[in-house]
Amino acid sequence: MTSKNGKLFSSKVLALFALLFITSINVSTAQNAELGEGLFSSNCASCHYLGDESKKLIGPGLAGHINEKYSTEWLYSWIKNSSELIASGDEQAIEAFEKYNKTQMTAFPQFSNDDIDNILAYIQEGPKEAVPESSVSASDGSNSEAFSTSKGLMGIALALLLLTLLVLVKVKNVLKEAKGEKSVSLLSGAGSWLKANPIFIVFFVIFTMLYGGKVVWDGLLTVGVQQGYQPEQPIAFSHKIHAGENGVDCNYCHSGARHSKSAGVPSANVCMNCHTYISSGTETGTTEIAKIYEAIGFDPETRTYIENYEQKPIEWVRIHNLPDLAYYNHSQHVNVAGIECQTCHGPVEEMDVVEQYAPLTMAWCIDCHKETKVDTDNPYYHDLNENWVKKYHGEDITVDMIGGLECGKCHY
Amino acid sequence: MATKKTYFQGLGELVNNPELEKFQKDEFAEQLPTEAFLGDDEKLSESSTSRRDFLKFLGFSTAAASLAACEAPIQKVIPFVVKPEETIAGEANWYASSFYDGNDFASLLIKNREGRPIFLKTNDLCDKGGINARVQASVLNLYDSARLHTPLANGEEASWSTIDASIVKGLNAAKEAGKQVVLLSSTIISPSTKAVIKEFASKYNAKHISYDVLSASAMLDANLESYGTRTLPTYHFDKADVVVSFAADFLGDWLDTGHGKDYATKRNPKAATMSRHFQFESNLSMTGANADYRTPVKASEMGLALVNLYNLIATKAGASTVNVATSDYSTQIQKAANDLWKAKGKSLVVAGGNDKNTHLVVNAINDLLSNNDSTIDFTKRSNLKQGIDADVSTLISDMNAGKVGAVIAYNVNPVYNLAQGSEFASALAKVDLSVSFAEKKDETAAVMSFVCPDHNYLESWGDANPYTGINALVQPTINPLFNTRQAQSSLMTWTGLGADFYSYVKNYWNNNILGSTSWNTALHDGVFMTSDSEKTVSYKGSISSAAAALAKLSGDSIDLVLYSKTGIGSGEFANNPWLQELPDPITKNTWDNYLTISPRYAKELGFENENVSNGALNGDVADLTVNGVTLKVPVLIQPGQAYKTLGLAVGYGRNGAGKAGDGIGVNAFVFANNFNTAHSVATLVKVEDAVHEFASTQLHHTMMGRDRIVKETTLEAFLNDPTSGNEQMMLVTHKGPKAPEKVTLWEEHDRDVHWWNLSIDLNSCTGCGACVIACHSENNVPVVGKQEIRNSRDMHWLRIDRYYSSDMTAESAEEDDVSTIDKFLAMEVASTSETLKVVFQPVMCQHCNHAPCETVCPVAATSHSREGLNHMTYNRCVGTRYCANNCPYKVRRFNWFNYADNEDFDFYLNDDLGKMVLNPDVVVRSRGVMEKCSMCVHMLQKVKLDAKKDGRKLRADEAQTACSIACDTGALTFGDVLNEESKVFTASKDPRAYHLLEELNTQPSVWYQTKVRNVTENNI
Repeated sequence: MTSKNGKLFSSKVLALFALLFITSINVSTAQNAELGEGLFSSNCASCHYLGDESKKLIGPGLAGHINEKYSTEWLYSWIKNSSELIASGDEQAIEAFEKYNKTQMTAFPQFSNDDIDNILAYIQEGPKEAVPESSVSASDGSNSEAFSTSKGLMGIALALLLLTLLVLVKVKNVLKEAKGEKSVSLLSGAGSWLKANPIFIVFFVIFTMLYGGKVVWDGLLTVGVQQGYQPEQPIAFSHKIHAGENGVDCNYCHSGARHSKSAGVPSANVCMNCHTYISSGTETGTTEIAKIYEAIGFDPETRTYIENYEQKPIEWVRIHNLPDLAYYNHSQHVNVAGIECQTCHGPVEEMDVVEQYAPLTMAWCIDCHKETKVDTDNPYYHDLNENWVKKYHGEDITVDMIGGLECGKCHY
Repeated sequence: MATKKTYFQGLGELVNNPELEKFQKDEFAEQLPTEAFLGDDEKLSESSTSRRDFLKFLGFSTAAASLAACEAPIQKVIPFVVKPEETIAGEANWYASSFYDGNDFASLLIKNREGRPIFLKTNDLCDKGGINARVQASVLNLYDSARLHTPLANGEEASWSTIDASIVKGLNAAKEAGKQVVLLSSTIISPSTKAVIKEFASKYNAKHISYDVLSASAMLDANLESYGTRTLPTYHFDKADVVVSFAADFLGDWLDTGHGKDYATKRNPKAATMSRHFQFESNLSMTGANADYRTPVKASEMGLALVNLYNLIATKAGASTVNVATSDYSTQIQKAANDLWKAKGKSLVVAGGNDKNTHLVVNAINDLLSNNDSTIDFTKRSNLKQGIDADVSTLISDMNAGKVGAVIAYNVNPVYNLAQGSEFASALAKVDLSVSFAEKKDETAAVMSFVCPDHNYLESWGDANPYTGINALVQPTINPLFNTRQAQSSLMTWTGLGADFYSYVKNYWNNNILGSTSWNTALHDGVFMTSDSEKTVSYKGSISSAAAALAKLSGDSIDLVLYSKTGIGSGEFANNPWLQELPDPITKNTWDNYLTISPRYAKELGFENENVSNGALNGDVADLTVNGVTLKVPVLIQPGQAYKTLGLAVGYGRNGAGKAGDGIGVNAFVFANNFNTAHSVATLVKVEDAVHEFASTQLHHTMMGRDRIVKETTLEAFLNDPTSGNEQMMLVTHKGPKAPEKVTLWEEHDRDVHWWNLSIDLNSCTGCGACVIACHSENNVPVVGKQEIRNSRDMHWLRIDRYYSSDMTAESAEEDDVSTIDKFLAMEVASTSETLKVVFQPVMCQHCNHAPCETVCPVAATSHSREGLNHMTYNRCVGTRYCANNCPYKVRRFNWFNYADNEDFDFYLNDDLGKMVLNPDVVVRSRGVMEKCSMCVHMLQKVKLDAKKDGRKLRADEAQTACSIACDTGALTFGDVLNEESKVFTASKDPRAYHLLEELNTQPSVWYQTKVRNVTENNI
């Protein structure tokens, strides 16, 4: 996982550097509130709210007023190194320091003036309209739009065909009547046609049976498969906000994934690592975060833990259920094989409400075991690998070749 | 040099019982009981349900079931609110702790999953004590549904504060009235507890009395007389070249669980100094079964035999002899004496029983042999037994005299396990205050006014000083499950010391034991060794009066010898269904105690055992009168039992143990006057028309009379030729004789990852059964109960076959022209003679590489792995049972029922509490599927994964199974045979190594090592 993290991390850093580089050469570029937002959320948000000064977190709330109150030059030096400024005897600086319980603000010498401009622009602009959180429901999440559209189109086409058929029959009858022949209704026409072509009935029955059989068979195969299962959770926790927008690493909360068979749902104290300071969110955040406080016994007003509080564990609804007869170990896949969480869990970082992405059927497991290459660089395999190279003549060694499909690897 | 012998598992096999023969041919004892509902036409037509109704119901229930199956139930996942840092869901934590129940001591590592202790293993940092079957099973006692949930005052639930107030009031009243306050306990080896008791005693002028149920009081008294110290030495069976035991079951319940380990190290034939073991005993004990020379001795003649041995040794040593008669067993005694004298200074004589004279003579013999300071070590003493028997009688008379104001019972159950139990109960009425610390409402707690339930040891803090220089800590591995309180905390509360025993222990250790070592280090290690040693002792004393008393013969008496079983012991664990279902090592009976009687004597008295149509064993019942008490006891005919001596196990006949243990067997403690184990029987009368149903596993899973199951040789022959007794079997082919493995139809499997092998050394296996319990514990093996055992449906994945041997063979019968009937009769007679030998052979799935089960499974539910394991996929199994039918080793077990949540199997899987002992890594099997030993595949997967995570190769011997971990004697060696550094690789190349039923060419992954007996004669 570390290597994966490293890669992720380094790509982010590269992107950041690239951004900085671009901003620094385009001197003429106006202050970029969008860039500022990124910087703010990763560097400032843990201590400052965006809003009125009285909205205190560690430091005061930040809004447009700071641009009025302080000069830009002053803000540059304050943000880059506030203690230096205080030491220099700057009155404004000393006043601010005294006002906030002499809490020293972290120095950000790595910020360029442009960065700070961007942040200030973002603060000035204020937060954008929040993306409305989709309603939390336990309803079937598999209704993709494309699917329903195609179904609708097909319906319209069918209706058109039917209509054409009716019109054609009508036209034919009119013509027949005009010719003085007896008109034939659609039904009686079809009946006499069927009488003349009994083979059609045979084919029709066979087709219906085969098709019906397939529908039933497919239906049976989905018994117990809960792909798309998207239950309502006791806290409307959004992975999209945490893992997606804020880029929190999956392993930060699901720390068991590297060590244990179960990835684990984080205990409330892990939430509190951030939510000690962040007690409100964009949409329903405030009420939802309050549920963590309720569980662990934290008073957001005084920012203290309530003594002798009877803690109430949060009862999450389990989404990914393997039957008892199947043994699965997260650390084997995450730690040893280095599989991305998303491979099985899907784009969780885009889900407001998590759903079961993979079918979690045995066929699905086996398919992956047939395709996945074993990391034979792991010293565990060193001696063995030599034998295998001889045996398989340098082919890629996949999990199934070394016993990864044996029953007793997962069933015991 | 090996002679060909016939092995048999039960006498029934020798007498051509047609029922039995039929039974042995069938894999399953009973057909499905279709007769019950289809056989009776009349009943069928009487039924009000018509065929049409039946189809309606069928249709409806099918539809309902399919609809219900479509909806998966919602499952919750509830994380910690604040997760302890060291806990990771799905990963086990191991904690060091200790076990001591007044009898066995073991320093343990406790496996804790999601906060629940589920498995125990020996802590290797402590070289004494160790796990036996009982200790291994003790984890289940934590989840015993019979445990008390709250304290009780006069049978009613009460709060701790009210109870404390009443008790303190009562204690003060007793003190003011000048009456005795008595704390009655088992032996206490905890220094901190002793300190608490001392403070309690000084506050209330209390008297501390302790007694041991399996008493060593006479031995302690004898040591006081011989050596001037009332203590027990530690014994070094690992240094003794010759061991002579007079009824001491030292591999079983005699003093210490660690003897087996020491004994086994000295039984390695390659070391050339393999010990020779003589056993003189009346009952066939596990220890006797392992002896090289075993002599069945009538209990009342044991003393004379011992004095005879003394005389022989004394003559050699030039000391004065005692003038006594010559024992009937003089030949064997002479041989033992010669060998002992040859090994002078490196020999050991031990004795069981609770008779002071016996131990005085034993001390004298050991002194003549200069064994003190070599095999008997008084500088490192054992504190495990310190009780004084006489104090108990004094207490009862004091209670009756009204001199006792308060009795507090701690870890004792006198009403049950004293011969004067009922007397104790009635005397209790004359005591104003009675308090019990029992964990459950046992026989004593039921008649006490207050019950202050103690924590289970897995919930407790504590310490122990079992041996000189070894200090051990006890730490809780789970929060208390119920509103209980540790006994020490209760005593502290009443003494006014607060209730925090943890701090008390910690302070005590910091001040008195640890020195500069930190508390956390000691707690992590579980044990703390010091270089303390006691002064060596010198023998003084005379044995003339003792010898004279011992040498008295009681004439033609019938003797009764009480013994304790390796599973149930003194009966404190009677409610543990694992132990109830653990077959006795010798009789292979479960869920019972019984009178063992020699075949010859049984014939004389007309007692019979017979196998009924389903193969189960039935037996006669006797009225047994001893010391004026009469009990109805079933009679089991036991080869190897001394003539006119009966054996009866204690620990049964409980009525306050709980649902599994109550009403099982009879309480033999009622005979145990003065804690004696040997008694004279007044009358033994057969009860007419009474039949007792035994639940015996003895005749299950026979190998159908096939040879080459157990291989044996003598030490002499082995030293000449290491393959002796294990000659390579050859099959005749058109290309000449070939080893079976060379004649094969099958392709070989790829063997390039690991190849898990298990080697079982028949020389080291003592038959103790710890592995069986470990397997139960690790693999969620269900308990099936007495009736299902009778139906041959036991679920043991690992069984220990016990084979008797006799010298009559088909060959010798042919040579001497013995008729078939006479041959079998001769075999029976031989089995009652001294030449009866016993072999223990643990058998589990052999993980054949050419497995007969795999080829017959129609759904491929059992298949072979690249790592040499025979996998069993329960969810694929449809229950045809073809595999079990085709298995030559009979190791597959069929789930006839759902054993969990089934009121017919009300043992421990019926409630949430009992289920907490389940191992979450192993699935609980459902009805209708086959199961068997998996070689703990989940443990193998775990160590492999750990190695991959660490990015390293698997270490040799890193992978282990539950049974190989539990085996203290080293009989079970597990590992990767492809790794040449592993122990099992060495074992597989040993000239003693062989496969079971080699001629079938199943190519098992389990090896056996020939048993070597240290005997000089050819007859092994």
